[in-house]
Amino acid sequence: MEYKNVLTVCPYCGCGCNFYLQVLDGELIGILPCKSHIVSEGKLCIKGWNASDFVVSKDRLTKPLMKKDGEFIEISWDKALDVISAKLKQYSPDSVALLSSAKCTNEENYLMMKLARAVIKTNSVDHCARLCHASTVVGLVKTFGSGAMTNSIGELEDADCIFVIGSNTTEQHPLIARYIMRAKEKGTKLIVADPRLIPLTQFADYHLRQRPGTDVALINGFMNVILSEGLEDKEFIKERTEGFEELKEVVKKYTPEYVEKITGVSKELLIEAARMFAEVKSSSIVYSMGITQHTTGVDNVVSCANLAMLTGNVGRLSTGVNPLRGQVNVQGACDVGALPNVYSGYQSVADENVRTKFEKAWRTKLPQNSGLTVVEMMNEAAKGNLKAMYIMGENPMLSDPDINHVKEALENLEFLVVQDIFLTETAQLADVVLPGASYAEKDGTFTATDRRVQRIRKAIDPVGESKPDWQIVCELARKMGSGEFEYSSPAEIMDEIASVTPIYGGMVYERLEDIGLQWPCLSKEHPGTPYLHKGRFSRGKGRFFGIEFKEAAELPDEEYPFILTTGRTIFHFHTGTMSRRTEALNREVPTGYMEINFKDAKELGIVDGEKVSAQSRRGEIEVKAMVTKRVPQGVIFIPFHFAESAANMLTNSVLDPVAKIPEYKVCAVKVEKVQLKPDPVNH
Amino acid sequence: MIGKVQELAKQYLTSGKVGAIFGLRENNGHIAPHIFKEVEELDSLVISPKYPLFYTCRPSKKNIPRLLQEKYPEIKVGVVAKGCDERALIELAKRDQVDIKNIEILGVACTKEEAVECKCSKPYPYNLLIGERVEGVSEDKDAEDLLKKGLPERLAFWQYQLSKCIKCYGCRNACPLCFCKDCALEQELWSKRGELPPEIPVFHFIRFYHLADRCIECGECEKACPMDIPLLTISKQVRKDVKELFDYEAGLDVGQESPLLTTLDETPMGETISDGV
Repeated sequence: MEYKNVLTVCPYCGCGCNFYLQVLDGELIGILPCKSHIVSEGKLCIKGWNASDFVVSKDRLTKPLMKKDGEFIEISWDKALDVISAKLKQYSPDSVALLSSAKCTNEENYLMMKLARAVIKTNSVDHCARLCHASTVVGLVKTFGSGAMTNSIGELEDADCIFVIGSNTTEQHPLIARYIMRAKEKGTKLIVADPRLIPLTQFADYHLRQRPGTDVALINGFMNVILSEGLEDKEFIKERTEGFEELKEVVKKYTPEYVEKITGVSKELLIEAARMFAEVKSSSIVYSMGITQHTTGVDNVVSCANLAMLTGNVGRLSTGVNPLRGQVNVQGACDVGALPNVYSGYQSVADENVRTKFEKAWRTKLPQNSGLTVVEMMNEAAKGNLKAMYIMGENPMLSDPDINHVKEALENLEFLVVQDIFLTETAQLADVVLPGASYAEKDGTFTATDRRVQRIRKAIDPVGESKPDWQIVCELARKMGSGEFEYSSPAEIMDEIASVTPIYGGMVYERLEDIGLQWPCLSKEHPGTPYLHKGRFSRGKGRFFGIEFKEAAELPDEEYPFILTTGRTIFHFHTGTMSRRTEALNREVPTGYMEINFKDAKELGIVDGEKVSAQSRRGEIEVKAMVTKRVPQGVIFIPFHFAESAANMLTNSVLDPVAKIPEYKVCAVKVEKVQLKPDPVNH
Repeated sequence: MIGKVQELAKQYLTSGKVGAIFGLRENNGHIAPHIFKEVEELDSLVISPKYPLFYTCRPSKKNIPRLLQEKYPEIKVGVVAKGCDERALIELAKRDQVDIKNIEILGVACTKEEAVECKCSKPYPYNLLIGERVEGVSEDKDAEDLLKKGLPERLAFWQYQLSKCIKCYGCRNACPLCFCKDCALEQELWSKRGELPPEIPVFHFIRFYHLADRCIECGECEKACPMDIPLLTISKQVRKDVKELFDYEAGLDVGQESPLLTTLDETPMGETISDGV
């Protein structure tokens, strides 16, 4: 009789909620919330409550697979690793790329980037952060010096004003929405800027319904009002920032009238909201993909930083610029260097001193040139320049923009290895598939959106012959001849991370057992950092940038008259690999749908539940229409979870020039009827 | 007081009165239910903060003691139970969800503070072995304040509260008495699936009505709510109505049949594990 409650981190979003996996004699019997956890406090969302379902799914990969004559056959681990090792050694380093995973632990991501750099000798290692917050990392580094959420989740409760822009917090980060709602009930003012009606808008003091892709203009409008009414924090600007004149000059022309023309937000609402934001003591900005996933993603992020600095809302409790990270460990995967231009702790590969440090630590020569980003990898593969890819725990066949192009690219590779817990759409294209262990079957750490590094703990043995990703990467590295992958446990890997990564310098497992630690945590004595930039910005002074508004890359026209914007729902997660294998979630939302405004629907003769065709210049899908007021006229919304009506068949893979994030939030589409018989939408 | 609880648990275990103790354990500052099999382990036994011991595991929809009883019928389990744990046990036993005869209750009283925090009217078990019985919270201030207001105001209050719901099902999941195989909340018939917030008020009121004769006022529903909806306020009102109408209280006596499970001539309709409604 062995009954255990194993405390671990929910594997879905970046809130970092903890729960117990309940285990009876080695079998998962349920999930129990953890009342003493700092964020979740004994509460969970529907995904969290059901996060053990997919672990025991019959679809789990249990054996290595190799494709033979178009069919997968089971092979031994030894054979699989032999094949992969031989193949990867056969190509020049520049023709190999690796995708790491925001669903894997810090330790695993660190090893994946070490494998890329120290063994394969390429910097082409990236992961899906490129698709969600690449613009945050760039934008907040150039303004503040640190590309992460400035404050802690719980602090939101005590803000005087919260400005949520481009974040459907209730659905995407439910346990963070909890703190926004608690704040609201204590009297905090709430401003929500979102083209859609989202659950938060009904509680907002102001809902600013901007046209998708006009965020820079909207925020410049805020700053124009603040400056013209003298509501800026003059002392903060003088003491702590630089570049103010540049900002002032640019913002001048963004009068409320001008901004109304661009964004569609009435000037009265804009003026009142701007005053509300600037007049109180502590204002917090919360944003997510609505800000980042644009060709102007970096501009949007910098604009948020500008607004916060202008009003002195950085470096204090309950203020700051708070990007909410979507994946459980997307923060950590970035922190430990699964990015093509930096090692762990955002240390540049171009910096010779840094490179020398890592060469010494890993006892090998390292490549100098920055590597390829996610979308660039696909482009190079399509062109035939990239020959082989090793993808761990990612599903670009659903998550990346312009899926037809992704498919073409992956099929054009000479060799593709996919390591996952399920045979995903991407894994189906692989030459070799390796079965990874799920979060419930291994030890490690995840870093939540507010930089909190927390332990995940093994509750049950890996299913079948699956193995924790860190063990697989180590075995492959050894096969490839490296002597630098000898670890007995994830704790030992963390010790190495701490030794080469200043912001993780004080992270050791013994210190992480209770509530974890927030980076920067520079030494074994350092208490961690609940909020950043106190007294001094990470880069010294905060830097303003004057940002001009630019239109999205593809605007509606006569042929494609609608703006498509994409996103998620509370009941599913990303490409559905986990959530669509969960009964309770499928029951709520079994398939995809397209939100269309009732007026537009009427004009097109579309009724609720009718199957329609949505087309862009890149592809076409059939999807059920949901006739609603949630989207304004001229805008349609499609969640991207569903392979059978994949929103990313339509999206535009055009990138932000610096952060290389694709523009998921705006592209032009047309909508047409495909059949006359209505079929009630099951949503 | 915790010393006394640990001492008694040790006695039970060493004397062989029970084969294992089911209670709460502290580990690195976190509290969770635990099965204590060794005397040495009992130093980490705690009694607060409160945690649901008869929590329903999903997908099996069975509580931990029941799962243990099915697998290890020969082992008698001692349960370190507070008032609400004991009431849950009684109500579950009444409904064939656990075998109470094979459980030994180590009853522990709650403090006044705990009673106030839980708005608990009976913060002690019948089998009180450790601690002093303190008076419960008799008045339901939240409800009284609301009842003073007019209907439109009350309606607006609940409409606002329920509009916060994010449909996590936490209120149901955390409830020791929510063990139905087919849950009415999940059925399209009553409340449209996949919507936020779920239909107001039907989604929540199905749950309140379903628990009318089961709710033992532990308050775990309210504590599990990410949006702080004051669910217990309504549960308490419904429980009060059932008491006034039928002179029935859930969790009082294993032998007392629920009025909602009897026919008009008072013959029991019965409720078994297999057809738990």
